[in-house]
Amino acid sequence: MIRFENVSKTYKNGTPALKDISLDIAKGEFVFLVGASGSGKTTFLRLLLREELPDRGRILEAGRDISELSKWRVPYLRRNIGCVFQDFRLLPNKSVFENVAFALEVIGRPRSTIESQVPQILELVGLSDKAKNLPNELSGGEQQRVAVARAFFNRPLILLADEPTGNLDPTNSESIMALLERINRTGTTVVMATHDKALVDRMRRRVIELDHGEMVRDQVRGVYGIDEPMEIR
Amino acid sequence: MRVYLRYAVKETLANLWRNRMMTIAAVLTVAVSLSLVGAALLLKQSAAQASAQWQQGTRVTVWMQPNASTSELANVRSQLATLPIVKDCVFNSQAQDYQEAKRILPQSEWSVLSVSDVPSSFRCVPTVPSDAFVVMSTFKNEPGVYNVTAPEQQIRQMNSAIRILQIVFLALAGVLLLSATVLILNTIRMAIFARRREVSVMKLVGATNWFIRIPYITEGFIQGLLGSLVAVLAVTALHTWYPLHNEFQLDTTALLGTNLVVLVVGVVIGSVGSALAIRRFLDV
Repeated sequence: MIRFENVSKTYKNGTPALKDISLDIAKGEFVFLVGASGSGKTTFLRLLLREELPDRGRILEAGRDISELSKWRVPYLRRNIGCVFQDFRLLPNKSVFENVAFALEVIGRPRSTIESQVPQILELVGLSDKAKNLPNELSGGEQQRVAVARAFFNRPLILLADEPTGNLDPTNSESIMALLERINRTGTTVVMATHDKALVDRMRRRVIELDHGEMVRDQVRGVYGIDEPMEIR
Repeated sequence: MRVYLRYAVKETLANLWRNRMMTIAAVLTVAVSLSLVGAALLLKQSAAQASAQWQQGTRVTVWMQPNASTSELANVRSQLATLPIVKDCVFNSQAQDYQEAKRILPQSEWSVLSVSDVPSSFRCVPTVPSDAFVVMSTFKNEPGVYNVTAPEQQIRQMNSAIRILQIVFLALAGVLLLSATVLILNTIRMAIFARRREVSVMKLVGATNWFIRIPYITEGFIQGLLGSLVAVLAVTALHTWYPLHNEFQLDTTALLGTNLVVLVVGVVIGSVGSALAIRRFLDV
């Protein structure tokens, strides 16, 4: 589903963000991306969204080199990638329903589809009774569930999550993780950047660790800590 | 497509309403500048039309006293006929000149005239145009002559006055159009800024670039259009009500042409302003 071939990225100010990364992520995999701040996790996700282009190397998504995508096709690529962020990125003046509906509206879905799909997706994330509330009337966990709903409505092939539990307490983190797992079980590939050690350790999923732009670990059923025995593929 | 149209219309109207003070400022600036452009164009066409009419045939006119005697008339006539610098002469009787006055002057002016008040005249073409002045000085003091006029000279003076006026109008209009563009650019920038969260979400979920851009383009377009419509009204009002002598009065074709120019310029200004704003401030 995702393949990096010798990908390097250096920002204009000279800071290297990623150095010669090669990896494969299969369809339906759940991958944790760990590493200190500035290790290149966010750049990794931005490259996948084609918000940045790599300086060297190729990135393939669903078998297609995304660097070769013409500019006008990028939006269509993004329709297949759902995104969740630490700060939720909801529209504060729109209700829960409208926030999800907006995402459908701006990719040109007809009103009837929106009316039928949004309640379904809100049900899936367990927010049917909050549809009319504004984001600031919800808890952090609920807001993040709205964001997940918005990211998932399109049944994307890939779901990217940039520290989705970063602003949440452990209980809410658990529920978001449960949601992401459920989404993963439907066949969506999930890539999640995180600092949450307990979470990674408990989930026992594939862990990719970045350090100063280099991939220092790729472990099949990994944990967060680096003092564990390593199994480099 | 229908979904999109509804979305674009809704967004455009919401943006215009949200920035209504800026919108009004932009629309009025476009309106004032384009009114000046329209007025300058009308002026130019009027002047061209009038001078074309005047220059037909007559270059020097010898106006006789209304009460000039037959011998005085005969004297002037024979002199004009024999002078080599005068190529050709046509005599207009008092009745003919009265008819002409009726045609040229507004009713309020010619209605107080009677045929006996109007001078008869010789309409002459000098052999060389510059000889008009020699003819003027020769006949000015001839008995029975009221005045000698050379429209050429007056036309030239009027044309240069009109040209200066036109340059002033167009220069002012240019400055105003520039500020109108900047004002439109700024309203669009504010609209983009007010909706930066929406724009970032739209990019994230894969809205196409044109989907994001078009509401802002139409916003600028509409501002330009509204401004130019106001200017069209002003230009039409000027054409309809400004009291001009007949030679200056333009037909409706000229008015339509001018209004078309005004509309096109307004729409272009609006679109250019918003396109610049989008290029600089909407990162899609």
